[in-house]
Amino acid sequence: MRFTLVKDIKGDTLMRPILGGLLLFILLFLSADVLLKNDHIGLTPTQLSQTLFGNEAEYIEPATEHFLLELMHSDIFFMMMTLLTLSAVYARLCQNKTIRIVNINATMISALLTVLFLPLAYYLSAHFILPYIIAFYAWHILALFMAIASLYYLYIPQKSDF
Amino acid sequence: MHQSYRFAIAYFAIFGTLLLLSGAVLFISKLGISYESVSVFYMGNVEQFSQPKSTYGLLETALPHIGAMGLFIFVTAHFMLFTSKKERQKTVLPAIILFAAALIDIGSGFLIVQGWTFFVGVKIIAFLTLQIIGLYLLFTLFKHTLQGIARYQN
Repeated sequence: MRFTLVKDIKGDTLMRPILGGLLLFILLFLSADVLLKNDHIGLTPTQLSQTLFGNEAEYIEPATEHFLLELMHSDIFFMMMTLLTLSAVYARLCQNKTIRIVNINATMISALLTVLFLPLAYYLSAHFILPYIIAFYAWHILALFMAIASLYYLYIPQKSDF
Repeated sequence: MHQSYRFAIAYFAIFGTLLLLSGAVLFISKLGISYESVSVFYMGNVEQFSQPKSTYGLLETALPHIGAMGLFIFVTAHFMLFTSKKERQKTVLPAIILFAAALIDIGSGFLIVQGWTFFVGVKIIAFLTLQIIGLYLLFTLFKHTLQGIARYQN
């Protein structure tokens, strides 16, 4: 996180391209995560319900507890590392303090809610499936917005730069 | 430091706590926490129809954990750089213990399958140390970050 101490990261000849590369990888990670989750567990209420609880008519077995725990465990790690790095970059590049704080908080809270809603859906009630899907899309869209906005601030000259 | 960066660190501490807790639930549900259950998990049991674990099977789980644990401990501990000198010094020992506990936790599985049953107990102790010291470090980080946010707002 050395870049948090570099004063002018947009003007720095090393920081600008490597931050650009990092943001590009974050964009790819977020898009790939949506595609993979859609294929792996399903991102519609019907698909996710079938994954979690199975479907006798279509001979689909319900997900095991270990499967769910392993999925959540690895998801939490990737979520925390990606969002921490992305927030640190976004915090340095976005000049509007209110937008910056609202975006970071909204992304983090919706990501935390996915971690809460998935086990609630599995153990407690299928009613939590839709909130999980909404929270999942919310944190991905917000994080994608933060990554795209950071790239914009990084490469497009702003009024405050002059 | 940016106020929004403090928020990101506070959330990191919350996610870190969830990561440790989900890891603990996984450990307990798969291996159990008793000497016997951990031993059966690695060495198998004919009566329970469970197979002993292979070295390559263990490597599959160990590999992502080697990278992830090293990174996680480093990132968590390095945030203490933003606190006072006294707090930084207090973090040195827990950070070293965490690296050692993570290494022993990962490595002892390989020794157990080779017949070194002494490491069953070592693995349980390393796992508990990792959880307790990890949660302590995350709690300290969270507390200092919240204090920083409150100071900035006042």
